[in-house]
Amino acid sequence: MSTESIINPVTFGELRAMTGDEFLGELIDTFCTETPSIISDLQRALAEGDADTFRRAAHSIKSSSANFGAVPFSALARELEMLGREHNLAQAGDKVARLVADYDQLVRALRELQHAS
Amino acid sequence: MPRETAPISGHLLVVDDNKVNRLLLGRSLEQQGHRVDFAENGRQALEALRAQPFDLVLLDIQMPELDGFQVLEQLCHDLHLRDIPVIMTSALEELDSVAKCIEMGAEDYLTKPVNAILLRARINASLEKKRLRDQQRELVRKFATAEVAEDLQASGFALGGKFVEATAMFSDIRSFTTIAESQSPADTIELLNDYYTLMFEAITGQGGVVNQMVGDGLMAIFGAPLPLENRCERSVLAALEMIEMIELFNCEQEAQSKPRIRIGIGIASGEVIAGYTGTLRRATYTCVGDTVNRAARLEAHTKVVGEPILIDETTRQGLSSGIETVPQGPVQLKGKTDEVQVFSVPVGQKVRR
Repeated sequence: MSTESIINPVTFGELRAMTGDEFLGELIDTFCTETPSIISDLQRALAEGDADTFRRAAHSIKSSSANFGAVPFSALARELEMLGREHNLAQAGDKVARLVADYDQLVRALRELQHAS
Repeated sequence: MPRETAPISGHLLVVDDNKVNRLLLGRSLEQQGHRVDFAENGRQALEALRAQPFDLVLLDIQMPELDGFQVLEQLCHDLHLRDIPVIMTSALEELDSVAKCIEMGAEDYLTKPVNAILLRARINASLEKKRLRDQQRELVRKFATAEVAEDLQASGFALGGKFVEATAMFSDIRSFTTIAESQSPADTIELLNDYYTLMFEAITGQGGVVNQMVGDGLMAIFGAPLPLENRCERSVLAALEMIEMIELFNCEQEAQSKPRIRIGIGIASGEVIAGYTGTLRRATYTCVGDTVNRAARLEAHTKVVGEPILIDETTRQGLSSGIETVPQGPVQLKGKTDEVQVFSVPVGQKVRR
């Protein structure tokens, strides 16, 4: 999969222009440090049937990834958020698994773009 | 980004449970010249807001512990915090929640990811509005009474005079100079403070506004800046209460071997010219005109006739039958060419209401 299908280059370019390379690196580091624990929260909430925590975790992932232009990833997180809002976690297992897999791809794409300047 | 495009800088609080969002928003705001602090949830936000002054809050809706709604609710019930502008930061699909927040008192909203240009525009607009509100509040503090402050707020600080139908009252202490010479300065100031406290209570209790205090004299207005029903009757009731309070005060004075005081009160009703006068630094609500002069003359005339309360014909006509008045005949008041009908109000009368 190309990075362009994972991260919108226009959004990412604007972000870089606004933050500068150094701060962009810090921002990506922060995303990579913070997101795994939010994904854990999401998985735990799924296992426990805690729709509110599930919704909040998905919401957080959705909004932070959107900053980088990670459009498909953010959209998937948004779908999870909606399932949480509807208290419909029964349908969410496959999507959570996909989010976990996509997260690794996203991190690779972010690092690649970060060093491509 | 050029600094000069950010005209106002402020101390801002960014509240978001996601660290990436916090960092990014903080970076944008700092680039626009603001000082930024952060909170990770609603509870931390309230702690920060209570610990130090902020000019504006950027508030996420969905957060653990206390969410954006709960923070807004607490802010609008907090006298010290409710005027801080709050801008909601939300996802586009949360617009129904945003509408609820704006109903709850949030000033504006931004959708995430936040666009730097919109961010600058909204923040500057909010800070500018806050600056204007703060300026108005500062102006209000320079005015003497709560009534005047309310009037100013309601009229949007319209300065300039207007004709108003009102009742003016003057009151002062008889032979005050003699009293002041007979006791220590500390006792004199204490006496004046007690006197003012009692007079204010009687006057404001009847809806009057004390707008001048000079030495041992004071001026009060009934019916301005805000209209007052039965202002003639209420001014006379206030005068009777003032005399009663002075009697009680005299009992205390005697118990401490201190001098008794007597006061004289003059009341006149009619058209007055009312407005805010002064300078930008210090202003007051003032009433001037013939009616006000007549009240002052009547107050001076109480010494001549030996009656503590004198009122003019217009005021008497505004009284209900429950208040007894005694005609003192036509009197030529000092500085006036025409004679005016003067009435005294006997003190100690039981007013039928």
